[in-house]
Amino acid sequence: MMRIRIIKPGILSTIQDLGRNHYLSQAVPVSGAMDTLSARIANIAIGNNDNASVIEFTYADAEFMTETDMLIAYAGDGAILKAGELIIPAEKSVFIPAYTSIQLVNNPTGSRTYLAVAGGWDVPEVLGSRSTFITASMGGFEGRNLRAGDTLSSKEAVNPTTAILFSLLKSENITYPAWSIARRMFLPTDTKRIRVVPAHEFSWFHGLAIVNFLSLPYTLSMNSNRMGYQLDGEPITRIIKNDLLSTAVTPGTIQVTGNGSMVMLMADCQTTGGYPRIAQVAAVDLPLCGQLKSGDTIYFEDISHQNAEMLYLEREEELQQLKDAIRQKYL
Amino acid sequence: MQPLTDIKPGFSIYYLSEHAITLEFGHDISEDMLWQVSNFNTLINQVPFAGFITSVPAYSTLSIFYDPIQVIKAEELPGQDCFDKVSNYLRQLKSYSDTESPSSNDVIIIPTCYGGKYGEDLDEVAALHQLSADEVIKLHSEAIYKVYMIGFVPGFAYLGGMSAQLATPRKPTPRKTIPPGSVGIAGQQTGIYPLATPGGWQLIGRTPLPLFDATRTQPAFLKAGDQVTFTPIDPYQFEHYRH
Repeated sequence: MMRIRIIKPGILSTIQDLGRNHYLSQAVPVSGAMDTLSARIANIAIGNNDNASVIEFTYADAEFMTETDMLIAYAGDGAILKAGELIIPAEKSVFIPAYTSIQLVNNPTGSRTYLAVAGGWDVPEVLGSRSTFITASMGGFEGRNLRAGDTLSSKEAVNPTTAILFSLLKSENITYPAWSIARRMFLPTDTKRIRVVPAHEFSWFHGLAIVNFLSLPYTLSMNSNRMGYQLDGEPITRIIKNDLLSTAVTPGTIQVTGNGSMVMLMADCQTTGGYPRIAQVAAVDLPLCGQLKSGDTIYFEDISHQNAEMLYLEREEELQQLKDAIRQKYL
Repeated sequence: MQPLTDIKPGFSIYYLSEHAITLEFGHDISEDMLWQVSNFNTLINQVPFAGFITSVPAYSTLSIFYDPIQVIKAEELPGQDCFDKVSNYLRQLKSYSDTESPSSNDVIIIPTCYGGKYGEDLDEVAALHQLSADEVIKLHSEAIYKVYMIGFVPGFAYLGGMSAQLATPRKPTPRKTIPPGSVGIAGQQTGIYPLATPGGWQLIGRTPLPLFDATRTQPAFLKAGDQVTFTPIDPYQFEHYRH
C-alpha cells in the first residue's frame, strides 16, 4: 500500500477513472477523466489497468507529500511535477521515496494533469465507478474535491508488471527508467483543431452558420467547467425553429442554445438535453477538449461518422499494442 | 389505455457518438410513444447484442450505448462498421416487438406534504388558476401519472398526465437551491427533485421518500414507464416518515 497526504489541493482535484457508464438511464452522468487519454497513459506507464482511478488536478498550485515509497506516473498538460528543483518527467513510471514533497507547477499548455499510483487510488466503487460526481456527492474521495490534510492510499493488489517495475526502480532517490510513453504520438499536430461529426439536427441550422462553425474561431468562455464549455464566437442561426424533445446527449455533444451560442458538453454533463445539436466531437479528439481552458481558441473540422469510428478503433488498437509492449518488456 | 394491437412500432436510427446510436420513434409526447420506447427498451435489455452497455429512454427516443471494440469483433453482427452492425441488429429485433407485453400496471404512491414550507409556490399556483389550495392538491393528487423520462439530475422523473388546469409556467428566476423531494410543476409536467439542485419549477409540495440513493442497486426510485400517484400527508407525517 502506498500513501500520500494532500498539502495544497489546488483549484479542483478529484478522483476519476474512465467513468460511470451503466446508470445513464437514471440520469447519472458519465463523469470520469476529462482527458481520458492522459489518464490512461499515466496508468499504462506503471502497468495499471487503464480504468484504475487517478487524481485529476486542475491547473497547478497543488502540493502533496509521499508518506510511503511510491510508484507513480503522471500525464496531462495542466502542471509539471517537481520535487524541489528536480523536475519529475511525465508519461513514465517514477519511483519516489517516502516523505518527498511534490509540487505541481504551472504548465501553460493545458489545464488537467493525472496522477496514477500503483494499483490505483483506493476509494470505494459507487455504481460501478470510482469517479467523483460532486453535484450528487457521489464517488471518488467522499464524493468531494480533495482538501488539505486528506490522505489517499493505493490499492493493495497490483498487476505483475507494476510489482516488477516497483522492485526494479526502488532506491533511496527519485528513480525512473529511460523509456517513456510519447503521448504526442497519439495527438494531431494542431491540438486546437477539433474534429467533429455532424449531429442529428445539423440541417436545422442556416447554411452560413454551418460555414462559420467550420471555419471561424470559437473561444472558451469563463463559463466552462466539467459539465460543459460555453463557446464564444459568431452565433449559430437556425432555419428550422422546431422544439426538440429532450433526448440523450453525451460528452462531446455540441448544443446550440436559444441565443445561438454553442455549449460543448463534457464529462459531468446531463444525460438528456433539449437543445438542437450541431455536432458531436470525435471520440479521439475529446481528450484534447479536456485540456482546454477559458480563453482558448479552437476550430472545428467535419469528418464522417464512419471516419470517426475508424479513428477511434485505430487509437484503441495502438493503445492495446502499447500495453502489450510494456507487459512483455517486464515479464 | 389503448388496445396494444393498434400500435405499430417503427423508428429511424441516427448516429449519436462513436459509442451510441439513437432510435427515434416519433416527435411527440404521448402514451403511444412512451409505450413504444419502453417496450423496445425492455426488449433490448432482454436480448442485448455483444458490446451492449446501456440504453437511455427519452420522450420519443431510445439511445443505445455500446463498446465499439466488442461490437466490431462480433462476427454474428452483420455490417461494415459498428453503426451498421448495431443498426442491423436493432432493425431485426423490431419485428418481434409487437408481441411484447406492456410493463406492470402497479401504481407507485408518493406521499407528499403540500403547501407551506414544503411547497412554497402552492398559493401562487392556486391564485393563478383561480383555485383554492385544496383544489390544487385534489387535482394534483387524484391523477395517475406516467414517468416519461429520467433526466436533468440523477433520478429526476418527468411525469406526464397532470390536469391541464394546473399547467403553470416556470418561475421567471430559478431558485439557487431546491430541497430534495420537492414536487414541482413546469408547463404541462410535474416532477420531483431528488437532489438539492437549482431549479425553476413551481414547488407545490415535498415528499420524504428518497428518490435517489447511490447505495441502492437501483439508485433511482422511479424509472421510465412507471405509473405514479401522489398521496397528501400532513407535516407531522412528513417529519416522522423516516422513523
